[in-house]
Amino acid sequence: MKRALCRLLSAVSLLPLPAAASAAETAVDATTIFRFEQRDISGASKQDLMPATQFLGLDVEKLADGNLSLHFSGWGRADLADKSYNNDRVDGSFTYGYLQYRFKEANANVRLGRLFVHEGIVNEQVDGISARTDLPLGFGLSAFGGATVHTKHLYGEKSDGKGDSIIGGRGSYRYRGLLELGASVVYEDNAPRLVNYATTTHRLVGGDIWLSPVRMVEIMGHSSYNTETRTLAEHSYLINLTPVRSLVATAEFNEQRDRSYLSAWAMFSGAALNPSDKSRSLGGSVSYDVAKNAGLSADYKHYTREVGNADRYGVTGRLSFLNNAVRTGLGYHYLRAGSGFAIGTNPSASYHELHAFALYDSAGIFAALDGIDYIFKDKVYNEKSAWEGTASLGYHITPALALSGDVSYGRNPQFTEETKGLVRLTYTTTFDRKGGKK
Amino acid sequence: MRIVHRMLPAAFLAGLILLLAACAQMQELPSLPASHPEALAIGQQADCSECHDDQAKGTLKALTAFSHTPAFVKNHRFYAASDDRLCAVCHKSSFCNDCHTNKVEMKPSYKFGYRPDREMPHRGDFLTLHKIEGKLDPASCYRCHGRANNERCVACHR
Repeated sequence: MKRALCRLLSAVSLLPLPAAASAAETAVDATTIFRFEQRDISGASKQDLMPATQFLGLDVEKLADGNLSLHFSGWGRADLADKSYNNDRVDGSFTYGYLQYRFKEANANVRLGRLFVHEGIVNEQVDGISARTDLPLGFGLSAFGGATVHTKHLYGEKSDGKGDSIIGGRGSYRYRGLLELGASVVYEDNAPRLVNYATTTHRLVGGDIWLSPVRMVEIMGHSSYNTETRTLAEHSYLINLTPVRSLVATAEFNEQRDRSYLSAWAMFSGAALNPSDKSRSLGGSVSYDVAKNAGLSADYKHYTREVGNADRYGVTGRLSFLNNAVRTGLGYHYLRAGSGFAIGTNPSASYHELHAFALYDSAGIFAALDGIDYIFKDKVYNEKSAWEGTASLGYHITPALALSGDVSYGRNPQFTEETKGLVRLTYTTTFDRKGGKK
Repeated sequence: MRIVHRMLPAAFLAGLILLLAACAQMQELPSLPASHPEALAIGQQADCSECHDDQAKGTLKALTAFSHTPAFVKNHRFYAASDDRLCAVCHKSSFCNDCHTNKVEMKPSYKFGYRPDREMPHRGDFLTLHKIEGKLDPASCYRCHGRANNERCVACHR
């Protein structure tokens, strides 16, 4: 009943739009993609795929008294040859669709419909309502509630393992641009009983902090506690140091206790997870802008898990020319990881990653080249590497309308050969004086 | 524990009532603009300090903290969790959903093949790579696929 009511409210929220749309500003993002792909899977027959996908995004601003807006995004796909993704020849999804009323004071807004909520430790999608506002003396408050947006049923089950309704919110306190403290909670309805999986209801409380005692230092992060398993779920913290504008050094620490942090992930039998297993990563990065159009960064991260430890390190470079019309990038990373992380019976999971790209974007023609190669220390399914190269070429028919095509070819352990192509028609408009989408 | 469960809806309603009551005190509190007054260059990693000084008004954080350095892009989740109203001044909701969504079939790097400069997840043969990365850092999988977007996972993980 609760779920039906929330869905009904979400739908009803869109009904008054035609009457309110007299002086509205509308922005459309529409992308039509025809894909052509030939898959050669080891030990199976070749497949010819021709899915046609339509993405549609809509933003209608300045409805009613000028403070009401509508936001919608979704996609649909039809297979014109072999099945491309699942057992459905036609599929689609309503990603989000909500009405938002934005108050002129206190950064307050109310949203109604299908929406994403990101507040402190909360990261959810709901069919319902959310409201938030700044309060006097630096305080702030947000709350949301509604029906859970379900995903695909788990194998052999009539559920995805999630409860039917969810509520939550965040309270915060800010002090003079130096400090922000937040406390957030997410409380989901009881998880359904599953036949083949163990589940734990999704309920977390947590706190977050942002601290900048001096401009060159930022400390931020959050910790969460699972009230169902009664143990800490996650710590995730980051320090940014910016001694000069062109140099940023970061250090990060992350720790997740699998039994608590992953417990609501029914697919991996949340309640059956090893209580002592945890993931910990510690690392840092340095990025330096050599010039306005050139940057270098280096990063390192050490991972610790029960099955072993690993290190990842690498460098990335970026360069642009012609007032940013030409952009290039080059990166190299190496993961050193032992047998605990390996595929199958391999003695090592280590691999090199090489990535390079170049693109050109003008008022008329745009083009891109992109290549990525994973070179395994030990062969995976008798393949030494997994690589893919993509070339893209397009033309802006009008400032809003563009036609482009991509061709890519690759070889990897999963598919002996993968040849892909697509034709893409994009129509993108933005509001006057509104910052661009990207 | 049952008492806590019964109290939660009441607490939620109380929060909403408090929110409405606080509206009467809101006249003096400023809001961020609905949108950035000038269009920003596509593909340019925005440097807020080019135009904005370090002076934070009221309780606002210094805008320079949001300059899109490589470190900011990599760690933007920390900022989005408390400041997505500021993100919305320049970015539409769909910008986030280019990568973060509930149910999507096409990899972002494929949909946006003409923009290899954008940080897109799962480039190349991630079907092979995820067998390593999933064991290395399951939390990074869970953030996007634990509560959403699980169709491809269910196909094999039974």
